Amino acid sequence: MPMKRSLLRAGGFHALAGAITLLFCVPFVWVLVVSLRQPGLAPPQQIEWLPNPAAWSNYPTIFAMLPLGNYLLNSLSVVLISVPLTRLVAAWAGYALARLPERAALILIALAVGLRMVPATSLWLPRFLLFSQASLIDTFGALIAPALMGTSPFYVLLFYWAFRRIPAEIFESGRLDGAGAFGGWARLGMPLVGPTAVTVAVLCFVHYWSDFINPLLYLKSDHNYTLAVGLRMLQQLDPTGWPLLMAAAVVMIMPVLALFVLVQKAFVGRI
Amino acid sequence: MKRLTLLLLLVAACSPPPTHTEVSFMVFGDASERSAYQQLVDAFAERRPDIRVLLLHVPGQSDYRKRLGIDFAAGTPADIVLINYRRYAGFAARGALEPLGPYLARSSIVHEADFYPQTLAPFRRDGQLMCIPQNLSSLVVYYNEALFDAAGVPYPQPGWAWNDMLRMAQALTRDTNGDGQIDQYGIGTEASLFRVAPFIWQNGGELVDNPAAPTRLALDTPAARAALLWFVELQTRHHVAPDAAAEAAESSESRFLNGRLAMFLNSRRGVPTYRTITGFGWNVAPLPVGHQAAGILHADAYCMPAVSRVKDAAWAFIEFANSAEGQAIVARSGRTVPSLRSVAESAAFLDPAARPAAGHVFLDGIAELRAVPVLPQWVDIEEIAGAEIERAFYGQAAIDEAIRTAIERTTPYFAE
Amino acid sequence: MLLPFLFGAAVLIIVPGGITLSLAFAQYDGLAPPRWVGLHNFRSLFVDPLTFIAISNTSLFVALTVPLRVLAALVLALLLHRPARGVGIYRAAVYLPTIIPGVAYALIWLWVLNPVSGPLNLVLAALGMPTPAWLAESRTALPALVAAGLFQLGESFVVLLAGLHAIPRDYYQAALIDGADRRQILRTITLPLLAPWLMLVVMRELIVSVQSSFTPALLMTGGGPYYATLFLPQLIYETAFDRFRFGDAAALTLITLLGLGLGLLLLHRAAGGWGYADET
Repeated sequence: MPMKRSLLRAGGFHALAGAITLLFCVPFVWVLVVSLRQPGLAPPQQIEWLPNPAAWSNYPTIFAMLPLGNYLLNSLSVVLISVPLTRLVAAWAGYALARLPERAALILIALAVGLRMVPATSLWLPRFLLFSQASLIDTFGALIAPALMGTSPFYVLLFYWAFRRIPAEIFESGRLDGAGAFGGWARLGMPLVGPTAVTVAVLCFVHYWSDFINPLLYLKSDHNYTLAVGLRMLQQLDPTGWPLLMAAAVVMIMPVLALFVLVQKAFVGRI
Repeated sequence: MKRLTLLLLLVAACSPPPTHTEVSFMVFGDASERSAYQQLVDAFAERRPDIRVLLLHVPGQSDYRKRLGIDFAAGTPADIVLINYRRYAGFAARGALEPLGPYLARSSIVHEADFYPQTLAPFRRDGQLMCIPQNLSSLVVYYNEALFDAAGVPYPQPGWAWNDMLRMAQALTRDTNGDGQIDQYGIGTEASLFRVAPFIWQNGGELVDNPAAPTRLALDTPAARAALLWFVELQTRHHVAPDAAAEAAESSESRFLNGRLAMFLNSRRGVPTYRTITGFGWNVAPLPVGHQAAGILHADAYCMPAVSRVKDAAWAFIEFANSAEGQAIVARSGRTVPSLRSVAESAAFLDPAARPAAGHVFLDGIAELRAVPVLPQWVDIEEIAGAEIERAFYGQAAIDEAIRTAIERTTPYFAE
Repeated sequence: MLLPFLFGAAVLIIVPGGITLSLAFAQYDGLAPPRWVGLHNFRSLFVDPLTFIAISNTSLFVALTVPLRVLAALVLALLLHRPARGVGIYRAAVYLPTIIPGVAYALIWLWVLNPVSGPLNLVLAALGMPTPAWLAESRTALPALVAAGLFQLGESFVVLLAGLHAIPRDYYQAALIDGADRRQILRTITLPLLAPWLMLVVMRELIVSVQSSFTPALLMTGGGPYYATLFLPQLIYETAFDRFRFGDAAALTLITLLGLGLGLLLLHRAAGGWGYADET
C-alpha cells in the first residue's frame, strides 16, 4: 500500500515538474520555429509547431544585413578577456577577505553590498567622462573595465564564502612551508574552490555576453559593436520582422546555451 | 596599480599613428542608406587619398540622437555628423557646431545659390548658415499599384482631396480571408505631430501660436482641431488604418513592404528599401489637398562639431558630398531628394528606369513646403505632443483631452 | 590582494557615484561647466508629471515583481530540492531563462506577447479565452512586463535550493517522529530555517528589480503605451542623453536610490533585523 502511494506521489511530482519544465522551455521552441519562418508571409493565424517550409536562409540573411559575424567575434573577445580577469580579481579579493580578521572583513563586506546597490544609471555619464579621459571610448577597454573590480561585488562575496569554508589550518601549514599570500592562494586556495570558480566564470560569461548598455553607450564604430547592439540595430531596421529578429536572438542565445549545458551539473546539480 | 595602467595603455594603444588625416562621419539610416553613404565615402577616397573618412552608422533616429548627446558631452563627437533640422538647434544653441556659412562662401565648388532656399532656411541661425543640407523631401503617399488594380480603384492623382483618400482607403481595407479580422489596411501612418502637421496647415491651422516667436502649441484652434480630428478618425472611426494591437503585431511599413497595406505616408527616406520590393509595383502621389496646399519639409544636413580638430579635412568631405557629383551618388541610391537644384532635376534623381515613376512629385511640391519651428527643445515638444496624438489615434483618449494635455505639457519647453 | 578590487571599485563606482551625487545639485548640459543650483533640480522635477508617473510605475513594478519572483522561486525550490531521478534536468530548465541575454530575452517576449500572431494569444484563442493586446494596451502592458520577467528567477532559485540543502535532515526526522504532517514541517521547520536565505533573496530581488526594467522597457515598449511602462531608469536615461539635463538625471537617480533605501529599511523593520548577516 505505501509502496503504491509513493509511486503515485513520484508520478505526480514528475508530472508537475515536467509541466514546469515545459512552461520554462516552450517559448524557446516557438522562437526556433518562427526563426525559420519565411519572412514577409502573412502572420500566422494559429500556433505553428513546425515551419513550413523551413527558411534556413534567414540565418545567412541576417549575417548579410549586418556584420553579425564580426559582432559575434567582438562579443567573444570581450568575454575571453573579461572572464579570466574577473575571476582573478574577484578570487584575490575573496581570498584576502577570508584571511582578514572578522571585523575588518565585515566592514569590507558591508562596503561590497553597498556598492552592489549603487544604481547603474548613476554611473553611465561619469564613467563616460572617465573613459573618454582615458581614451577608452570606442575600445573594448570600456567594456572590460568592470573586470578590474571583479565585475560585481557579488562575485567577490561568492569567493569569500567559498574560501571561508576552508579550514584555517590548511593555510597555516602552507605558511610554515614558506608559501606567501599569493602562493597560498594559488596552490592551496584555488584548487579547493573549483565549483565556485566555475559558477563565477559562467555568471560572468553571461554578464559580458548580455551586456547591452555599456556597448550602447561607449562604442561608436560599427566594427567594434557587440552582438547585443547588433540585435538592437536589427530591431530598429524592422521592428516587426519577426523571423529575422528571432533568428538573430537564436544566434545570440546559442553560445550561452551550449556553455550552460556543458556546466549545468556544476551549477544546479551540485546542490 | 601598475598592472592596471599597463592594461589601459595596452588597450588604448591598439592603432598605430596614421599617416593621413582621419575624419569620422556619423550617419543614421537602414542598411541601404548606409551603403549609399559608403559609396560616397569610397568616391571621396579616390579623389583625396590623403584623407581617410571613417563611416559611423547608427540605425535608429532616437539612438542616434542619444549617441550625439553623449559624444558632445564627452567632447568626442565625429568630425562630421548628419543632423535633421528638427534636431540640430539644441546643439547649435549651445555653441557646439561650427558655422559652415563662411566655408561655403569660400568654396569654389559649391555655391549657396545652387541650393533650394527652402532647405537652407531652417539651418540659418542669427543669419548664419550652420550646416549644409543634403536634401529636401516632402511627405508623400506611397501606394501599392497591385492592390489598387485588384480593387478596381483608380490611382491617386495630384490634386486629390482628403475625402478621396478616405474613400480609397475604405475601398482598400479588407478582410481577405473572411475570418472576421482585417488583414489588408487602406492606409498606414505614424501617429505623430510631424505627420499630422501638413494636414493642420492645409486646413488653415498652425502648429504654434506665433511661428516667429512661439510660446505654445496652437492645436486647440478650430482649424487645427478639425484637421487632427480628421486624421485621428482614419483609425478611430473609419478603421482604415491599423489599430494599436495590429500596429504592434506588424508595423505599417512592414505591411506595405509585404503587400498588405495600400497607402503609406512617408518621406523620400523609404525609397532605397522599397526598391527591394519584388512582388508588386508601387508609386508615389502627393499628399491630398485640403483648403490650401501645404507640404512638410524633411531635411538632413552635414554639420561640423566645433571641437573637431580636422576641420579643413572635414570640410573637404562635406564640400564633396554636396557637390553635384557627391549629391548624385546618394541621389542614385534613392535616399535623397537632392538639395542642389541641378542634381534634383537630373537623371540621377529622376531616373526613368527606377521607382518611383512619379519622382517629380517630390519636386512639384517644393514651393509649398513649410518647416516646423526650429527650437532647441523642439524634439521634446514633438515627443510629448506625439504621445498625446498617438493616444487619440488609437482611441485611448478623446481628441480634446489629448490636445489639452499636449499643450499643457509642452508649454514649459517653449519657455526655455 | 584586495587592492585591485578596491582600486577598481573606487574608480568605477565610488568616484562616478560621487560625481553624480554632486551633479544632482547642479545644472549641467555636458557642454558648459556645471553650475551649482542647490535644490532647484528637485523642485523642477516635482512639477513634471512624468516624474510621478515614473515613480509610481517603478513602485508598482517592484511591488509586483519582488513578491511574485520570490514566491515562485520558493515554490520551485521546495518542489525541486528533493533528490529524485531527473531532478537535475528540471532544475536546469528552471534556470535556463536566467542565462538568456537581456536583449534576446526582450525580443523573444515581444514575439510571444505579440497581440495578433504571438503564440501566447494564439494559444489563448484556441482555448477560447480572451486575448488582450498585452504590450500594446495601457492596462496590460506593465503586468505583461512583470510576467515576462518572472521566468528569470534562476539566481534566487539556486540560493533557496542551497538554503534548503543546508537544513540538517535530523530536524525533519525528529519532526516526523513527533507526528508532524507536511504542512506543519513546512511552517515550523523549513520556513524559519530558510528565513535568512529568503531575506537575502528578497533584498537581492529588490535591488535588481529597480534596475532590471531598463532593457525590457526600452526594447519592448519604449515606455509606452502612453507612459504605462515608463520606469525611472528609462526616464533617467532620456533626461540625460535626450534632453542633456544631466543635473536633473542625477537628481532622479538620487530619488531612485532614496526610494530603494527606504524599501530596504522597511524590509529590515518588517524582518526585525539583518537575520542573514553572517550566513555560511
